[in-house]
Amino acid sequence: MTYKILEHTADVRMIVQADSLEKLFSEAVYGMMKIIEPKVDNKKEVKQRTIALEAVDATALLIDFLNEVLLATYIHKEVYNEVIFKSLSERSLEAKLSGFRAKSLGEDIKAVTYHEAEVKKKKDGIWETMLIFDI
Amino acid sequence: MFNKSNLIKIEDFLWEIPKSFRDDMRVPARIYTDDEMLDSIAVDKSLEQLVNVATLPGIKGYALAMPDIHEGYGFPVGGVAAFDSEEGVISPGGIGYDINCGVRLLRSEKTFSEVKPNLRNLGRTIYHEVPSGVGVGGRLDLKGREFDMVLEKGAERMLELGYGEAQDLEHIESGGVLHTAAPELVSVHAKSRGRDQLGTMGAGNHFVEVGIVETIFDNGEAEKLNIFKDQVTVLIHTGSRGLGHQIATDYIRIMMKVMPNYGIVLPDRELACAPFKSREGQEYFKAMSAGANFAWANRQLITWEVRKAWKDVLGKEGGELSMVYDVAHNIAKIEEYTLDGKRYNLVIHRKGATRSFPGQPVLIPGSMGTNSYILVGQEKAMISSFGSSCHGAGRRMSRTRARKEVSVEELRQRLESMGIVVNAGSSKGLTEESPEAYKDVNKVVGVIHEAGIAKKVARLKPIAVIKG
Repeated sequence: MTYKILEHTADVRMIVQADSLEKLFSEAVYGMMKIIEPKVDNKKEVKQRTIALEAVDATALLIDFLNEVLLATYIHKEVYNEVIFKSLSERSLEAKLSGFRAKSLGEDIKAVTYHEAEVKKKKDGIWETMLIFDI
Repeated sequence: MFNKSNLIKIEDFLWEIPKSFRDDMRVPARIYTDDEMLDSIAVDKSLEQLVNVATLPGIKGYALAMPDIHEGYGFPVGGVAAFDSEEGVISPGGIGYDINCGVRLLRSEKTFSEVKPNLRNLGRTIYHEVPSGVGVGGRLDLKGREFDMVLEKGAERMLELGYGEAQDLEHIESGGVLHTAAPELVSVHAKSRGRDQLGTMGAGNHFVEVGIVETIFDNGEAEKLNIFKDQVTVLIHTGSRGLGHQIATDYIRIMMKVMPNYGIVLPDRELACAPFKSREGQEYFKAMSAGANFAWANRQLITWEVRKAWKDVLGKEGGELSMVYDVAHNIAKIEEYTLDGKRYNLVIHRKGATRSFPGQPVLIPGSMGTNSYILVGQEKAMISSFGSSCHGAGRRMSRTRARKEVSVEELRQRLESMGIVVNAGSSKGLTEESPEAYKDVNKVVGVIHEAGIAKKVARLKPIAVIKG
């Protein structure tokens, strides 16, 4: 399970790989938090946030999910280091996010885009997608 | 990957990828550039993205790219696309997440030598007056109807609240307000994300820059704009902040869901669109208009903050800061054009492109530490480029590579040695915006001037950079 930041002329391109769909989704959240580079106030745990979504397919579900996490991060000034899925299929999810209050946020991600994103399971059983973040 | 053999030179500084290049293209794609820059454009995915735009339903004329084109997500940055308002689509990705990101130029009555003794103090004071950085709120926290009035009335609402002068509105594209705005079509989430961000610069490539008029190219036009050599100016570059980002996110998601109902199939999901006349198309247009108004209100409040800093540092002797102009470079507008002898109402998408109507000032900011330009739109823009010009230098190097290649201390020293005072909240942000990460703005503007879509009036040189 990993995420890796790759070259993009103006924005941030990231490849995410994991051995399950669930881990692909949570790794993508952790990768996004890495880009945001928050300074975390470890003492202030925040209340758990719930995100429930439906989408046309796994790719749209992941992008919509990441955009919801992004919204919560910027509105509440929080950073999430744990994602637990109550349910997750390729077209719907219910997730609980836990984390800490952010003292400051280092990067302004405008949005997670659908460009180049494609959630797929490769022949070796590894789930993979590319992600482009608009900075 | 593209190479020059895919392109036909149709006149000096204008190249075309013919419609025959790919089966799904509805119109050709055109690029304003020169031989040298064309080589660098062909390196990333920007031309492939431009060809994708040429496949969208109802596109008219050609998918157009400016010399500052670079790879985006979906649409390339530095692009213009015109859609038939009856049969065509509207696409949030063709405007971008930062709705009405744009630039505003203020002119002072002072020359460089008159301001120089106070320059360091001026840079510092502007940095303190204009909140910047990620998630940093501003001086206003408007709620409910008060907030909606900003979305409805744009810069004008800021004047009603006392943040500006009546004549400011005369020098803003569309008078600083799109009357098509409907605040009720902007989600609660979008409003929450932008609520405390009025009068804030944000991060990334946004900035406030104090500059001087280095060169005048056209005395007559400069005089009309009250621009003179050695004059101190202030350039403001920012947009609709989190509010605009969320409006785009919300409506891209909506359009993704409804596209099958309209039989729209795309080569890239990020081009998500809906017929302009459809309910979803109209609702996005009205929400986007509200986002554009928020951006004009934002630049208006920042203007007030800069004027306050100017007065605090230079006192009464500092004189006034007056508006030169304010232009949007991420927006959709309904405009009328003639194509093949027939008049059309077109939905002009400008993503990283500036309106360039005849006689209108066109403001092109350079990258940090480099020149910026004042141009004036020309008649040819109405015939050849859907009344549009470029929007800046255009990136050529990724942020990660810029961070690796540039040391923050070396960059600070280099800017200081060029006589530029730097006030930046983030070292990372500073290196990411290093001049070598961008194309040469002089060459980009040179193409626009030579192609005849806008004419050079004056060149500015920075003396103080303020950013998040």
